[in-house]
Amino acid sequence: LIGFRKQESDCYHNVILDNLDALYGFAMSLSRNPIDAEDLVQEACLRAIKGLVKRDIQSNPRVWLFTILRNVWINQWRRRTKGPEFIPLGKNRGEGERFEQWLLDERERPDANFERSDLSEKIRAAIAELPEVFREVVVLRYFEGLSYREIGSVLGCPAGTVMSRLSRARVQLHNMLDEKNTPCFLHRERRSG
Amino acid sequence: VDNHILKYIQSYLDEELEQGERLIVEAHVQRCADCRFALAAERELISAIQKARPLYRAPDSLREKVAWLCRSDPRAGSIRSWVPIAACALIALAIFWFVAPGPFRAGTASFVTTAVDTHLRYLNGQLPLEVFSDSPEKISDWFAGKLPFNLKLPDYPQTPERKPYHVEGARLVGFKQDYAAYVVYRLNGHPISLLVTSDKVATASGGEEIPWGGLRFHFQSVAGWKVLTWSDNGLTYALVSDLEERGQASCIVCHQNERVFKGLQTSSKRL
Repeated sequence: LIGFRKQESDCYHNVILDNLDALYGFAMSLSRNPIDAEDLVQEACLRAIKGLVKRDIQSNPRVWLFTILRNVWINQWRRRTKGPEFIPLGKNRGEGERFEQWLLDERERPDANFERSDLSEKIRAAIAELPEVFREVVVLRYFEGLSYREIGSVLGCPAGTVMSRLSRARVQLHNMLDEKNTPCFLHRERRSG
Repeated sequence: VDNHILKYIQSYLDEELEQGERLIVEAHVQRCADCRFALAAERELISAIQKARPLYRAPDSLREKVAWLCRSDPRAGSIRSWVPIAACALIALAIFWFVAPGPFRAGTASFVTTAVDTHLRYLNGQLPLEVFSDSPEKISDWFAGKLPFNLKLPDYPQTPERKPYHVEGARLVGFKQDYAAYVVYRLNGHPISLLVTSDKVATASGGEEIPWGGLRFHFQSVAGWKVLTWSDNGLTYALVSDLEERGQASCIVCHQNERVFKGLQTSSKRL
């Protein structure tokens, strides 16, 4: 019995470890700070391990893990963070180093996995400027690929609310990219044409 | 003239439409240049967002910490870790049985405890809902045939003012070797849990008794949570919330008319 239970626990632990990158990405989008993100993921994983319930894991482990992480964020961490920063993949920013300089250094980094086009940078910056309620739905839908219903489960709101927030988030993104003179979208060409 | 399908474009691109709805959108955009253009523009934005996805990798230090946490999980341990836990549980159970007040032994308080525990587990993300809907009727339909009793959630017609609450979803919860109904509402951002079971397995008693409207409500504060229980028509209910005073505002989920729960408020103050 103990052997079977250990095997079962190992299986659940693998679910947590397999989703660690996704959890870290979501934590980064919420906290916008790699140190806070790391602590946030660690706390969420601790709670997940303590509260391992077979049916939760089996139904949708990613949704379950994202939900725990977001609850930890709301209950404990949100008040601690300050400043609208969004740190993309790469080295951690040093104490006192200017964000613009850090970003400039990052562009020089020879990293094949890192999307470095101007448009992507502008979009990431625009997403970082979105209010949290919009940012989280954009990240969960377009970065993590969750359905409206799954996002609703993570955020504790109906799928209709998710759809409405996504719609408003996209309008804001359109407007922000317009302001940044991003000449890449059809709607701009049509307007100017 | 076709109606434009602009409002369905987002759901179409996010793959949230049924097959039939998708076909309608696709047929429409083939003959409507405006909608075709809007669809292409939205698709382009979504594609650009997806391409901008930062590829994070959890730092090795974090991976090691989480792996260590997993290895430290007592459930994955040997029989030695189970012995003290089992012994403590037995001792606690024995103490509880001898010192607990009558209502606890009668099983009523366990319904309150289950309601608060269920509320907490839901808030902590450990209890996902099994059905999501803002329609009380759909949730009542979902419960049909799954419970040892009939449950119909009240669904008041839409008033000109926006309802201050909405139902989020529901699930089954084990209670006394059978299922109880668990429904989650939200009132002005505050989650409210409603647990319902048959009055054969739990009756409302204990705490502060508040008679109102021919029923007897019982108010208790458990670990800071406001719990109202009552029995009516063969069912026993528990409402758990963090609302003001006795949490009587949570009664709105069944009583759209504010007068009803204001009456309860007045009665409780009178006592």
